[in-house]
Amino acid sequence: MKSNLNPMTNHEAIDPILADEEELIPSSGFLAATMERVREEAACPEPIPFPWLRALPGIVVVVAVLGWCGFELVRAGMASSREILPTQSHGTAAMLSALQPAGWVAAALAASLFSWLLSRSLAGRSGLL
Amino acid sequence: MPAAISAEEDLAVVERVLAGDVQAFEGIVRRWQGPLVNMAWRYCRDRGRAEEMAQEAFIRAWRGLAGWRRESIFSTWLFALAANVFRSELQRFPAVNVPLEEAAEPAGPATQHEGLARKQSDDAVRRAVLALPKRYREPVVLYYFHEMDLAAAARTMELPEGTVKARLARGRELLRKRFPHLSGEGALLPAPVLQPEKEVLQ
Repeated sequence: MKSNLNPMTNHEAIDPILADEEELIPSSGFLAATMERVREEAACPEPIPFPWLRALPGIVVVVAVLGWCGFELVRAGMASSREILPTQSHGTAAMLSALQPAGWVAAALAASLFSWLLSRSLAGRSGLL
Repeated sequence: MPAAISAEEDLAVVERVLAGDVQAFEGIVRRWQGPLVNMAWRYCRDRGRAEEMAQEAFIRAWRGLAGWRRESIFSTWLFALAANVFRSELQRFPAVNVPLEEAAEPAGPATQHEGLARKQSDDAVRRAVLALPKRYREPVVLYYFHEMDLAAAARTMELPEGTVKARLARGRELLRKRFPHLSGEGALLPAPVLQPEKEVLQ
């Protein structure tokens, strides 16, 4: 026992109690059961890693489209707020017409998201992902 | 004893496994099953569960063998990996929910059966380790598992020695508060005349 490394300065009754623990001997089937599991693991085909390289162009396109949509959304919002301010009397109608392009952008976004999710789920079902 | 086992031999076996010899992994399991099961036992004090956890540790070692960077000896890597497995297993299903203050009180000294009373008292202390708060429990478990080698415990926990030392001191302090007979002066009173006998459970 390396008592020089003992963090407690004085000898304590706790040391022999916790150090001199009963020693378990693994059951006779432990080795065989563990090796059986190891062999099962070894027999399993390695999981196919996600093809990041192939997916990269798609990811770039999606990010670019989303960025562009976001930019358009903000621009449309700012334009509509500029149009609405001087004509407070026309209120709701003007606001709705101004927000129409933003609605289209949102719909396009939702459609692209849906198609992406659908293609992912189909690929997943076929075992490609 | 883990220290007595040749690191070179481990390395050779690992090389064979990495070269595709699945059966060679049996050498690793055979050599380390005892230490890993005993280590797991100290984490949960349930024999069946200890074997399950040790088996899981071997499977993780098998999966991650290629990731061993040989910066440390194989046993250090294996113990650190096993500690991570045991920690996460016990996080999912804790071994004990009894707070420290409710941990079993050791029986008073019995005149006729002093040896038995002593053993029961020691078991109560060992079980109380599991009731320690998590951050203090593991340093206590690993420090004594590594035969009071603080550096080895720190390597297994992948923590600085100073941190482990502080947590260990706190853990032991909590145990002494719970079992006053373990503190310096009190330790003389219940007269632990005999060292607990080392037993081997079949």
